[in-house]
Amino acid sequence: MDAPAAFRRQLLDAIPRLRRYARSLVFDMPQADDLVQNTLERALTHWHQFDQRRDMLVWLLSIAHNAHLDTRRRESRITVTDPEELQRTQDQQGGDPGTDVGLRLDLLAALRRLQPEQREPLLLVCVEQLTYAEVAEVMHIPVGTVMSRVCRARAALRQFLDGGAHVGAPTLRRVV
Amino acid sequence: MTMDGEPIDDNLLSAWVDGELAGAERTADRERVEAWLREHPEDAARVQQWAADAEALRAFAGPADAEPVPDALQRAVWRRNGGPPRWALAASAAGLLLLGGLIGGALVWQSQQRATLTSEQTAALAAGTAAGWVERAAYAHSVFVPEPRHPVEVKAQEEHLSRWLTNRIKLPVKLFDLHEQGFELVGGRLLPDGPGKSAQLMYQDAQGQRVTVYLRKPEDGTDAAFRYEQHGELGLFYWVEAGAGYALVGALPKERLLAMAQAIYKQGPVMPGAASAASGGAAPRGSSP
Repeated sequence: MDAPAAFRRQLLDAIPRLRRYARSLVFDMPQADDLVQNTLERALTHWHQFDQRRDMLVWLLSIAHNAHLDTRRRESRITVTDPEELQRTQDQQGGDPGTDVGLRLDLLAALRRLQPEQREPLLLVCVEQLTYAEVAEVMHIPVGTVMSRVCRARAALRQFLDGGAHVGAPTLRRVV
Repeated sequence: MTMDGEPIDDNLLSAWVDGELAGAERTADRERVEAWLREHPEDAARVQQWAADAEALRAFAGPADAEPVPDALQRAVWRRNGGPPRWALAASAAGLLLLGGLIGGALVWQSQQRATLTSEQTAALAAGTAAGWVERAAYAHSVFVPEPRHPVEVKAQEEHLSRWLTNRIKLPVKLFDLHEQGFELVGGRLLPDGPGKSAQLMYQDAQGQRVTVYLRKPEDGTDAAFRYEQHGELGLFYWVEAGAGYALVGALPKERLLAMAQAIYKQGPVMPGAASAASGGAAPRGSSP
C-alpha cells in the first residue's frame, strides 16, 4: 500500500531539521542531502511501521542514524579517518587571524575531532534539543550511555577549543 | 556551611545543563547539583562554559529552516506510485464506492428480509444517533459479509491494521483472537458512524461462516449493559466497556455468539484494576435475553 498524503506532508515538514542533523553527521552538504534522501526513501518504504502516537522527527532521526551507520560501515573499508590530518586542518584553521570566521572554524575543527559516537548525542541534545531519552531512541543506546557520552563530548570539545584558542596555555591542554 | 560529603559526578552536572534534572522526579538530584554549584565556583564556571558551548553549537548550526528545501528532496517525498492527487482521488473514489456499497447492500438486505427495522430505528440510523449504532453495526455486517473477494479494506496480514484503526477511531483497536471459537481474522475496515467513525473487524471459520465486530467510541452516558438482540437470523451482542462500544454480529446460534462475545470481552482493553475481574471467567452481565 502506498504511503498516505498526510504522512508525506509530515515528512516534508521534517526535512529542514533532518538536513541540519545530517550535516552534523557528515559535514558535507551534498553528502548530507544524499543521507536525507536515503532517509526519506526508507521512511516511505516503512511508513506503515510508524506509530502516529510517536514523534515523527525522532523516528526519522533514528532512520537517518541507521542509514548513516550503514554508509560508514561500507565506506570504512575504503577511507580511513586520520586524526593527525584533522589536527593539521585544525592547526591551519586555528592560524587564521579572522575573528568570527576563526571562531566558527575552531568550533568546526573541534567538532570534527570529536569521536562520532560522542559528537552525535552532543549535537542531538544541544542543537536538536532532544531529551536524553529521545537520543537513546535515535541511537539505540541506553539513556545512561547518552548521559556519559554527552558529558565526555562536551569535556573533549572544550579541551579542543581551549587548546586551539590558547596555544601557549599548557594547563588547558589535554589532560585525559 | 559547606557539605563537601558527596562529590558530584560530571555526568550529573552535564545532565543538569541539559535540563534533564528539571522533572519533579529528579528534584533531589537537582537540588544537590545546585547546592554543589553554589559552593564550588570552579565547577560553576565549568558548567557555565558548557552551557555557553551548547549555545555556540546552536548558533553554529543555525536555524533549520534557513534555506528552502531542495527540489530533489521534495520530489523524493512524493515519489513512488504517484503523489497526493492520485492518492486523494483514489480515496474519494473509495469513499463513493463505499457509500454505494452501503446503500446497495442495505437494499439487498432489506429485500431479503434478513432483519426488520422499525421506522424509528431507520430514522435513528439515518440521523446517525447513538441509538442507531447497533443497527449500523448490523447493516455494516450485512453489507460486507456477503462479499466473496473484497470483504475487508485491510487484510489481517498487514500489521498496521490495528494501528491504523486505532488512530482513526481514537480507540485502542485490538485484533481479538477467536481461534478457540474456530474463527480467524480476515481483516478490517473503517466505516462512517453517524458523525464519527467506527471500525469493523471480520472473522471467518473453516466453513466460511463470518462474524463481525463493530467498534466505536460511545457517546457520554451510554448504557454499559451487556445486551443481546435478534435481527432476523442475525444475532447481536453489544456492550460498552472502558470507553469503547462493541457489537458482535453473526448469523450464529446465540450460545456460539456468546462464547465469542465473552472471549472479546476478556481480551478487550481492560481498565487497570478490572483485569482480575475480567480474567476471572465471569460471564458478562445481563446475558439472558
